[in-house]
Amino acid sequence: MKKFKFAPYLLNLPLALLSLIFIVGIVNGLLQSFGLIPALGLYEFTFKYYYEVFSRSDLLASFGLSLYISLASSLLAAIFGVLLSLLLVMTGKAKGKTLNLVKIPIIIPHIVVAFFVITIFSQNGLLARIMYSLGLISAQADFPALLYTDNAFGIILAYLWKEIPFVAFFVITIMANISSTLGEAAKNLGASQWQTFWHVTLPLCMPSIKNAFLIIFAFSLGAYELPYLLGATMPKALPVQAFIEYTHPDLLHRPYAMALNGIMFFISLIIVVLYYRLLQQNTRKVNGGE
Amino acid sequence: MTIKEKIVGRLLLTVFALTVLVPIIVILVWSFAARWPWPNLWPQSFSLRGIQEIFGGYSGALQVLGSSIVLSLIVALLAVLIGTMTARSLVFYNFYGKRLIELGTILPIIIPSTVFAMGVHVLFIRFGLADNIGGVIIVHLICALPYTIKIMTDVTAAFGCKLEEQASVLGASPLQIFKEITLPCLLPGIISSACMAYILSFSQYFLTLIIGGGNVKTFAIMMVPYLQSGDRTIASAYSLVFICSTLLVFVIFEKTAKRFNKNGSNYFFV
Repeated sequence: MKKFKFAPYLLNLPLALLSLIFIVGIVNGLLQSFGLIPALGLYEFTFKYYYEVFSRSDLLASFGLSLYISLASSLLAAIFGVLLSLLLVMTGKAKGKTLNLVKIPIIIPHIVVAFFVITIFSQNGLLARIMYSLGLISAQADFPALLYTDNAFGIILAYLWKEIPFVAFFVITIMANISSTLGEAAKNLGASQWQTFWHVTLPLCMPSIKNAFLIIFAFSLGAYELPYLLGATMPKALPVQAFIEYTHPDLLHRPYAMALNGIMFFISLIIVVLYYRLLQQNTRKVNGGE
Repeated sequence: MTIKEKIVGRLLLTVFALTVLVPIIVILVWSFAARWPWPNLWPQSFSLRGIQEIFGGYSGALQVLGSSIVLSLIVALLAVLIGTMTARSLVFYNFYGKRLIELGTILPIIIPSTVFAMGVHVLFIRFGLADNIGGVIIVHLICALPYTIKIMTDVTAAFGCKLEEQASVLGASPLQIFKEITLPCLLPGIISSACMAYILSFSQYFLTLIIGGGNVKTFAIMMVPYLQSGDRTIASAYSLVFICSTLLVFVIFEKTAKRFNKNGSNYFFV
């Protein structure tokens, strides 16, 4: 095929433009977090707002809460997602109609999932009603409060409902391939099913699993919808708190919003670095060397 | 596998299926419930109040649903177009800045959209992109592109450019090559990435809220106050219409695709 010299640059033009908007947006937010907002008459570079975030107990609590929600939901989702994928592979359902069940939670938006959690896990929800009819509880108030609490159970449950299938969907293709080729080989050589899983399938799937974990961790750290709909009044998750500071009538609150965003940004920057190292490890493995 | 293992496997699969389906069934029942007081396990009476609220006309929900679908279709179309272009450049060419472009394709997945939205908002106001549909399309696109580019890169790499080269050698025009070879071969990827971009745009709440500034009313924006209101019948009806409309759009995508490519089957839903 005739290769036109400028073709790749032309093909990338729209993406480059949109990436530029993205990067300018991020940089602009960061500059504001360091106190550079000419429109508000702030011209001096300062770490003051970051320093204040870490010394104000309510903002520090937001930081802790967000980290806890993301870590707990992503770790659990990764573990159960791998188990779900394993279950589907072992029962021979890695392809076909059963996989549609895995795709359903992927297409249902977080705001609707939040509502699912409310209808089922609130104190007058379906689960409480079932327990009442079984005689396990005698009133609504006996059912443990799971929503709008500072242990964030409702938020984590909602994330799990969406993310376990996401992880499973992410790793199932590679897991099915490995277990039909190398897994069979291991079994022929006398390995038990669990040995095969622990020593062959799981290590080979690990890059995909880590990849999926990083994506859902970064997403849940910065997502607004679920903590907004299911979170406690105090403390609020980072994105929710940041938006409150952002829309505060006193514009001098804006740098605090940006500092909270800055914290999320720096955590995700660490994730980007991890992600890239992971990507390079994979290419090295594919190319044969360790 | 032993019989015992098979039974356990079956059981676990059933648990998984129930976990996915029960919430959907519960909101289906709630959508038609007139009265469902504590501690009943089944509604006392049924009504069409929730459905009427949406289809009745006075709430304006249908117009919002329509314009919301159009908005997300535009995002999906643009995302597929840009995704296909970027994928071609990444698979077939080596060029200056390729690694930068690769980095650019994953950043919006990793860096939270809340950080991006609040940072870019002021700039959008300055350039007249805030509070209107153009700005919302741009931010939705930025969120959707990483996924469409990933899918299109995989499909483009799997398909290669050998067939196109052969057709070119045999004297086909670029337009013919595109119509007869490139498009049909990429179609499965195009459909999956269109579905992905559509759902990312259609379910977007925060970005639309901040960039649209209340002027751009999508179905997701309209729905959230009802989800918070405590009126479960109305909230369920909205959720149900949301899910059904998404599925309907996906079915239309696949039907359209099948008209172009009769033996294709590898789409979003098997």
